[in-house]
Amino acid sequence: MNSNLAAGLAMIGAIGPGIGLGIGFSKAMEALGRNPDASGTIFVPYILGLALTEAIGIYCLVVALMLIFIK
Amino acid sequence: MPIAADSLIQVSIKAETLFTIGPLQVTNSMVGAVLASAILLGASWWFLRGASLVPSRFQSAVELPIEWLSGIVAGSTSRWRSYVGLVVGLFLMILIANWLGVLPGVGTIGLVKETEAGKELVPFVRPAAADLNFTLGLALITFVVFVWWAVRLHGPIGYLKELAGEPRYMAPLMFPIHLISELSRLISLSMRLFGNVFAGEVLMATMLALTTAAIFVLPLAFFVPAFFILLELLFGLVQAMVFALLTMAYITLAIAEQQGGHAESDQGDHAPSGAAQDASAPAHS
Repeated sequence: MNSNLAAGLAMIGAIGPGIGLGIGFSKAMEALGRNPDASGTIFVPYILGLALTEAIGIYCLVVALMLIFIK
Repeated sequence: MPIAADSLIQVSIKAETLFTIGPLQVTNSMVGAVLASAILLGASWWFLRGASLVPSRFQSAVELPIEWLSGIVAGSTSRWRSYVGLVVGLFLMILIANWLGVLPGVGTIGLVKETEAGKELVPFVRPAAADLNFTLGLALITFVVFVWWAVRLHGPIGYLKELAGEPRYMAPLMFPIHLISELSRLISLSMRLFGNVFAGEVLMATMLALTTAAIFVLPLAFFVPAFFILLELLFGLVQAMVFALLTMAYITLAIAEQQGGHAESDQGDHAPSGAAQDASAPAHS
């Protein structure tokens, strides 16, 4: 029971990457709106930045899943 | 016998052992990984048998994404030919391994084992990337390759100097930090893929369990899991691409070219056009 609560608390850490992903995506869309031809150039750095930001959220998820499934 | 929705969610975080050969425990995620490699090998053999220089419509449809990815790799450094196979290979392997997970029967057909907690299903096949051993193995390959590139091009001393950082007197402080940041790449690469695929498995199991309870009430309950399967296909593609592109980025950072390389990045979207790019790039020591 306590570990389920701890898993829920661990997922609070997903707030940060959520905000970060939103900022990153909005900036990418902004850049795309300003210069639609640059979509090919923007794509790879965008995916990499998305992955690196998302990793923080995944760490929270892994900790939460471990708390739930490993007894 | 009524089944509580709770008992339908059966996901274990570690791969289950199917049988043992001597000291080797054959787990269901190993079956998944071998199956994915077999599909990849078989498909490439079958594809290369019918391939011709003037591509048919089907051949260009298969070649298009691979050429697109190798075009991105070609834009990274002038030595891209040495590691384009690794990057595209990692992409295809993870893609097939991920997409295996949404096939019907994977994760649902298996043996029923009696444990002290009750009956437990041990599926024959488990998506390979839902096991940390598989993703850690792939991340170790990437790690060894990019450290090897750095040591090969800058020498062992040069690599240690790079780790020590620029103001030499800060080295005692910066060396452990850089060392940890190198090792954290290994952890983040493996954990990202594992976390995504495993969370996808849990999500699918939860959605199926939730809608199984309502299946006699709403025919719509069939379509809710279908939507999540579509989402799984998308995540599988994105994660495979992320792993391959991060591998490329780490190798690019390790090679760390000062000149050349970047001149080509403008043509990155083109398919690798062969010797022309190599010839135009300045020679390196």
